[in-house]
Amino acid sequence: MSAQPTTPQVDNDSMEDRLYTVKYSDPGDSHLDVKVPDVCTQCDTYDCVRVCPANVWRESEDGVPHIAYENCLECSSCRYACSHDNVVWTYPETGAGVTYKHG
Amino acid sequence: MTPELDGDAVADPNYDDEFDAIVVGAGLAGSAAALTMANRGLEVLLIERGSSPGAKNVFGGVCYTPTIRELTDFDGAPLERYVAERRFSMLSRNDETAVSISPGEWHEAPHNDSYTVLRGEFDEWFAEQAVEAGTTLVTSTTVTGLVRKNGRIVGVETDRPDGTIRAPYVVLAEGGNSLVSEGADLKATETRENVAVGVKEVLEFPGRDEVIEDRFRLTDDAGVSYHYFGEGAVGDAFGGGFIYTNDDTVSIGVAYRIEDAVAADQSPEATLNAFKSHPAVAPLVRDARTVEYSAKTIPEGGAESIPDLVHDGAAIVGDAAGLVLNNGVHLEGTNMAVESGYHAGNAIARAADQGRVGAKALQAYPDALERSFVVQNLERYAWMMDAVEADRDLLFEDLPRAFADAGTEYFRMDRTPKEAHAENAKRAVLDAVGGWTGAAKLALRYRKVVT
Ligand SMILES: Cc1cc2nc3c(=O)[nH]c(=O)nc-3n(C[C@H](O)[C@H](O)[C@H](O)COP(=O)(O)OP(=O)(O)OC[C@H]3O[C@@H](n4cnc5c(N)ncnc54)[C@H](O)[C@@H]3O)c2cc1C
Ligand code: SF4
Ligand code: SF4
Repeated sequence: MSAQPTTPQVDNDSMEDRLYTVKYSDPGDSHLDVKVPDVCTQCDTYDCVRVCPANVWRESEDGVPHIAYENCLECSSCRYACSHDNVVWTYPETGAGVTYKHG
Repeated sequence: MTPELDGDAVADPNYDDEFDAIVVGAGLAGSAAALTMANRGLEVLLIERGSSPGAKNVFGGVCYTPTIRELTDFDGAPLERYVAERRFSMLSRNDETAVSISPGEWHEAPHNDSYTVLRGEFDEWFAEQAVEAGTTLVTSTTVTGLVRKNGRIVGVETDRPDGTIRAPYVVLAEGGNSLVSEGADLKATETRENVAVGVKEVLEFPGRDEVIEDRFRLTDDAGVSYHYFGEGAVGDAFGGGFIYTNDDTVSIGVAYRIEDAVAADQSPEATLNAFKSHPAVAPLVRDARTVEYSAKTIPEGGAESIPDLVHDGAAIVGDAAGLVLNNGVHLEGTNMAVESGYHAGNAIARAADQGRVGAKALQAYPDALERSFVVQNLERYAWMMDAVEADRDLLFEDLPRAFADAGTEYFRMDRTPKEAHAENAKRAVLDAVGGWTGAAKLALRYRKVVT
């Protein structure tokens, strides 16, 4: 008998693999944006980046976050997270975006 | 069979002025409203942005069904398992202290009206019930705004060509991310203190028959609902983790306030990974394959955040109206969504009978909701979120640790008499709560949870 039972290893998928589990149709245009880019260059919290569960928002060199909109799970968290109310959030048009099989 | 109409059909100008009521969103609240109105003879148009109802929807979860069961032929509902055990678990970094409840009664139909479901299937089925009652459903169509005439709401704009559709009543059942209601100034945007981010995975266990039955000690259609609190569940954040068993998959996830996600720099993905790796959780989910990763927000503002529910020509229902009870012990939004849709549908049907459209004519809806469990429960627990927030370090970090220490001491096996162990155990808990006075104050503060 081993003295110290070990916690079994749980292998988590990479973000890429996780997002790969969700059906996605590209609306062609980003449904997300920032209202005033200068607000982002002044922003030092990047709350949009911190909260996003799908790695859509990414810090970039010019200070305005890069938006990989095709990763978006449409959870809406970034919309609430930005304390400068600087997120433009619309729905991808005509049913495009994510389609969950299970939900 | 799916009840989908060809999405393009909405471009058909005939839809304009063809309906008595338009429902925005075919979630639980929307389909309940549509079904109720259709049953009462109204011509209803139900508009959903997803390619089918449920395609955009995510929850834990357990669907609470006392009202749905009355409204539908429930035998055909796509249920996963009934909840036979509820378990509440405090996790410190390495310990677990849990309470499990599994009354015999829950094994008997209707199983305390608590069933795990997957929304993709369930919402589609529920919308189908509305369609069978006469509702017209259009999918892949997003409502982008409301149409007003002399201040009154008289229809919706959609993202389809010629997408303006007018009708005397509009039911806003668009969920928590209520862009239409907010855009039309019917409600304010929630602050990030009052919204939680939820992330979830659906797991399957390839090549392992009966693994769910074995790990969760289940037979037949019985299932579990496990809730986890404390730093082992969601780190420094205010929220919790959950595990629910489906027929042949397991739903696992975490949900916590957006305010904490940003303040503690705790990404949802990392928080979920840490929860899954906790020593008390990992054995339940090891060797699984992720079949779906998803995310969604939960409005948690409670009773104080409920907006005006009726306007001239419109009513707001479900998550769009902030009708979710999430106090740590209860996480209930499904039942409130259906109940609110039902009462709004009834109020509109009555107003339509009388040919009236003003907000006053719809007042029967907020009145009925006020008397129902929805508002009663939200008001009953309004104090709790504030109290828990004030005590969060104690409740989520100190107490889980103290209970784990107390348990360790109480059951310690050595050559000292048990009396000394019991004394140590008692001290571990008393130290955490601030002595007997602290314990008494705490008991007083939270007595309403049980009484
Ligand atoms: C992570 C998580 C776990 C949860 N767990 C539980 C649980 O275990 N038990 C429980 O009872 N509750 C739970 N809830 C809460 C519950 O899911 C919600 O309260 C419930 O789904 C609300 O139903 P609804 O119909 O109001 O909104 P939704 O289910 O969000 O439905 C809104 C619908 O409207 C559509 N829509 C939105 N905007 C538009 C538009 N502009 N045009 C057209 N269509 C639109 C959407 O696509 C969607 O179909 C959980 C929530 C989350 C996020
Ligand atoms: S969107 Fe908001 S949080 Fe993100 S960088 Fe810009 S201002 Fe900051
Ligand atoms: S909606 Fe959710 S997934 Fe999409 S960008 Fe915002 S936070 Fe990320």
